[in-house]
Amino acid sequence: MNVYEVFLKKPGRDEFRHAGSLEAPDPEMALMYARESYNRRGEGAEMWLVDRADVLVADEADLDVNTDKPHRHNDGSLVAARRRDRREGVGGDE
Amino acid sequence: MHTLATAPATGRTWIDLDDFQSFIDAGGMVEPGDDMPGEYRDEVFRFIEFHANSELMGGLTERDWIPHAPGLRLKQIFLAKTQDEIGHAHLLYMVAADMGVKTRTEMLEDLFAGRSRFHNVFHYQAVTWADQIAIAYLVDAAAFASQRAVFAECTYGPYKRVLKRIVAEEGFHMRHGEEMLLRLATGTDTQRSMFQEALDRWWWPAVQLFGPDSDPDDPLLRWKIKSQRNEDLRAAYVQKYVPLLHGYGFTIPDPELHQDDDGTWHAGPIDWEPLKATMRMGGPDSKRRIDTAARNWADTAWVREALDRRGAGT
Repeated sequence: MNVYEVFLKKPGRDEFRHAGSLEAPDPEMALMYARESYNRRGEGAEMWLVDRADVLVADEADLDVNTDKPHRHNDGSLVAARRRDRREGVGGDE
Repeated sequence: MHTLATAPATGRTWIDLDDFQSFIDAGGMVEPGDDMPGEYRDEVFRFIEFHANSELMGGLTERDWIPHAPGLRLKQIFLAKTQDEIGHAHLLYMVAADMGVKTRTEMLEDLFAGRSRFHNVFHYQAVTWADQIAIAYLVDAAAFASQRAVFAECTYGPYKRVLKRIVAEEGFHMRHGEEMLLRLATGTDTQRSMFQEALDRWWWPAVQLFGPDSDPDDPLLRWKIKSQRNEDLRAAYVQKYVPLLHGYGFTIPDPELHQDDDGTWHAGPIDWEPLKATMRMGGPDSKRRIDTAARNWADTAWVREALDRRGAGT
C-alpha cells in the first residue's frame, strides 16, 4: 500500500490546497478513494494526487538562508509615519 | 532535505512540558514532524483513535438500517450518511496512524478485539426505525457539539484540518435528522408514540455522551485539544434540545428536569454507571456490536487481499 497526499482546487483563482491523505494499492484505486473521501460534494473542481514518497520537504537549514534578508521586504512604516504626522498636523513641512 | 514519507531530521523541540505549554498558550499548532512531548502524543493519539472508532462503529450501525429505511429517498440518505461516517473513520485513522503510535491495521484489530474504546451510544441497540431517527438527530447532535468544541481550538494541525471537513458533513446529517424527526412528529399517533419510546431509550445515553464533569486538570483542555469542559457542553445541549423536543410535543424521560427562573433547563442527577459499563465493553449491546464489526472485517478480508495483489502487480 502507498500513501498519497490529496490536493484540491476550487474553481476560480484559488490555489491548490492540501486536503489530506489516503492509503491505496495503486494510482487508479487512489483516485477512486480520493474522489469518495475528499470530493464527495464537489469540494474541488480539480484534484491532484501525489505519492507521499515523491513530496520533497525542505529542512530548516534549506529555508534559513532567506530568513536574514529583511531588505527583501519593506513594511512601509517610514512613509506611513510621515503620512500620519501630516494628517495630525505635526509635520513641519508646510 | 527529505520526503514526506520519511521522518524529518529536524522538527520543533521543547525543553520540557512547561516550555511546550507556553508554545500552546501562545497559540502554537503542533505538526506531525514536531518532536512533541510523549504525553501529548499519547493523549492526542488516544483521543483521535476513540473518535475514529466511534465514526466506524456509528457507520456500521447506520448501514444496518439501509434495507429497513422506508422509501428510496431515505435509503439513499442513509447510504450517503454511512459512506460519510466510514469516510470520517478513514480520514481520522490516517491522521492517527501518522502519529506513529499504532498502524491503521493495529487500531482496527484492537477495536474488533474489544481492546479499544468508542462512544457509549454505539453500545446500545436500535430497536425500531424511530430509534435510528433518535440517533440521527439527538445522538448525532451530541457528537456534533463535542466535535465542534474540539475543532474550535485543536492544537494538533492534521486533526484540526480533517475536523473541518467532518464538521461540515455532520452539518448535513443534522439537517437530515431534524427533517426525519419533523416527519414522525407530524405523522400518525403510532409514529409519534414510536418516537416517544425511542426518546425514552436514547435521551440519557445522548446526555451521557459528553462524559462526567471534566477533571480540573484535564490535559486535553490544558493542551487545547478540547475547548470546553464536558459539563458545559452537556448543559448547553440540555438547554438547546429540551425546548426543541417539548416544541414537537414530546416528553423528556427525566422526572427531575427543571427550569430556572431565568429559563435555563437543568437535567436531574445523572447515573454514570451505564456509561462506565460501555467503557468496559459491558453495555447492553456491546458484544453484538463488536462481534458484528469483527465479522464484517473478517468477511471483507478478500477485498484487502485483492487490493494487496493488485498493488503488488500479481
